[in-house]
Amino acid sequence: MKQHMGIFTSDKLRDYLAFEPGMRAEQLSDRIWTVSDGLCRTIFLEGDNSVVAFDTFGTPGRARAYRAAIEQAVPGKPIKMVVYSHDHLDHAGFAADLAPEAEIVADEMTAKIIDLRDADGQLPVTRPLSGRENPVNIDGAEFLLINPGPTHGTGHLSAYFATEKILFSSDTILPNARYGFMPDYHLANFVRFMRELADLDFQTFVPGRHQVSDRDQFIMGCDYIEALSVACQEAFVEMVPIWVHDAMAEYCKAKLGSRFGGLDGFDQHIGQTAIRIVHHYLMGGWGLEDTPEPAILLA
Amino acid sequence: MTDIPEEPADQAPCDHCGIFTIPGPLAIQSAWRDITFDPVRDRIWTVSEGIYRTIFVEGDRGVIAFDTFSTPGGARAYQGAMQRVFPRKPVHTIVYSHDHLDHTGYAADLAPDAGILAHELCDKVIRARKSDGQMPATEVFTGERQEYNIDGVRFELLYPGPTHGDGNLAAYFPESKLLFMVDTVIPGVGYTFFPDWHLASYTALMRRFLSLDWDVFVPGHFWIADRKGFEDSLAYFDEMGELAQQAIADGLDADDFDAVTRYTYEKLEPRFGRLFRFDEYFAMNMVRYMQHFLTGGWGIEGNLPPTTTPF
Repeated sequence: MKQHMGIFTSDKLRDYLAFEPGMRAEQLSDRIWTVSDGLCRTIFLEGDNSVVAFDTFGTPGRARAYRAAIEQAVPGKPIKMVVYSHDHLDHAGFAADLAPEAEIVADEMTAKIIDLRDADGQLPVTRPLSGRENPVNIDGAEFLLINPGPTHGTGHLSAYFATEKILFSSDTILPNARYGFMPDYHLANFVRFMRELADLDFQTFVPGRHQVSDRDQFIMGCDYIEALSVACQEAFVEMVPIWVHDAMAEYCKAKLGSRFGGLDGFDQHIGQTAIRIVHHYLMGGWGLEDTPEPAILLA
Repeated sequence: MTDIPEEPADQAPCDHCGIFTIPGPLAIQSAWRDITFDPVRDRIWTVSEGIYRTIFVEGDRGVIAFDTFSTPGGARAYQGAMQRVFPRKPVHTIVYSHDHLDHTGYAADLAPDAGILAHELCDKVIRARKSDGQMPATEVFTGERQEYNIDGVRFELLYPGPTHGDGNLAAYFPESKLLFMVDTVIPGVGYTFFPDWHLASYTALMRRFLSLDWDVFVPGHFWIADRKGFEDSLAYFDEMGELAQQAIADGLDADDFDAVTRYTYEKLEPRFGRLFRFDEYFAMNMVRYMQHFLTGGWGIEGNLPPTTTPF
C-alpha cells in the first residue's frame, strides 16, 4: 500500500509511517472524547449524525488508528469535519488517511502554509477562518475556535467548549515541563496570549500531548514559561555560557527547582528549553510572529 | 592584533537593552569586548571577539561597517577597532546582514548617525520589533541582487531566499573575490538547535552562491573559510537531513534528548566526532532536523519552494 510521506524523502520511513498503534477513546463529556497515541493527544466531538475530528495525528498509520478509535467510540457516525489546530504534520499532516472526504477547517494562515508545503497526505483547508474568534455550530454541537495570536506553529487555533467547560489547545501549554527545544514556539507573546485563554471558564484542559489536565495545571504552565524566561535573562546577564546545555540546565534548576522541580520532565528538559528561551533574548525573536504586535502578519 | 581599550573605565555605560525585560543595569550589555582585527584582502578587514565575526571596508572618506556585534559594549569595541585602523575615517554606512540582535542589534552604539542598508524583509522585522538600540534601515533593497558603489567601494548585496533569520543577505566583492554572509555557513557542526534556520530550502539556496567567482568566505562566526569549507558545510546539512530521517526510522524519540545524545555518540561519533563542536551541538543539530521532518517546516520561510537559479 502506498504510504503518504509527509515531507520525508527516505523510503526508510515506510514502516514508521505505516505503524498503527492501538488507540482507545476516553469520554470527557456527553459529546467530547479524547484519544492519545501515547505521546500526542487530541479530541473529537460527537454530533447528532456525524463526528468533528480535531487533528489527524502524525503519521498515516496513526491517522487510521485514530479513525478506528472514533468508529469504535461512536459507531455509524462519519467524520464530516476535521479541524486543524495548526499546520504541523505531527498533528495535522494526514487527513488523507483519516477522512479524505471531510471538510477541513483551519485558520487562514494555516491554510497558506499547507498550500505552500504541499506535504504528501496533508489535505488543503476547505474552510479557512479569519479573525480572533469563530463560533462553530454544527450537527447539534457548538464550540468556539480562538486564535489569540502567534503561539506555536502558524495560525494556531484553540477550541473552547463553554457548556462542557473544556479547553483544547495543542502544543502550547503542557501539563508538565517536557517542552524540549520548544520547536516553532513564538515566545514574544506566548504567555500573554495563553493567559488570555485562562480568562475563559474551563475546568478541563486537553493539551496536544501527554495527559488530560486541568485549569490549575494550565496556569502553572504559564507561570513556568514566564519564570524560565526571567531565569534565562538572568543567566545571560550573569555570563552563564548560554550555548552549553549542562550549564544552562544547572543554572535554571537551581533558580526554579524549588518551585517547579515537581513538574514531570523538569530535570530532563529544562536545559533544552532554557537554551531555546535564552536565544530568544539574544537574537530578538524569530520573524514577524515574534514581534510585539504580530497582527502585522495580517496587514 | 588585539584591540585593548585605552580608557575602558571612561566608557559611558550604555543602557540599550535589546528586548530584555528584567530590570537593569545589565552589566554584560555594557561590558567591553576585546576585539581582534585583521586585513583580509584589498580594502576589506575582518574583526572578531573570538566567537562573532564581521567585516568593515575602507572607503575614500569613511568606513562601511557590516553589522554591529552582539551587545552595546561589543558595538563600541567594534567602533574602537575601526577607528584604530582608520582614525580619520568615520563610519558613515552600516550594512545589516539580517535582523537578529546578536549581529545587528546595536547600531545606536556603533554609529548612530550612519546610514543603514538592509533587505526589506529584515527591516520589516526590525521596525516591528522596536528593540532598544536596534535602528531601522535608512535604505532598503528588494528582490535578490543590488549593486552598490559607496565612497569608492563597489560591492553587491545578494538575497538568495530564506536561509536564516529574516532578509539575510550576502555581501559580494567581485574585485576581491570575497563573499561575506552571516549565520549560515560556519566552521564545524551547526550551532545548537539551528535557531531560526529555514531548513527546507537552506542548502539549495546557499549553493546559488557557488556560481559566483570568490575564493574567500567570511562567516559570521569563528574563522575564515574557502570554497571547500563552504561546500563541506552544506554537505553536512544535507547529510544531517538523511541522518535525522534514519534516526526516526530507528525509533528514536526527538523529545528524549538523552537518548538522542546516546544515539549520536554510538552511531555517529566515529564519522563526525572530529568536527568542531561535535560534543556541544551534534545531538542538538539532530533534534532540530528530526523536528523539521516531523512538523513539516516552520512558517512561510520554512515552506517556500527554493529558487535554485544560479546568481
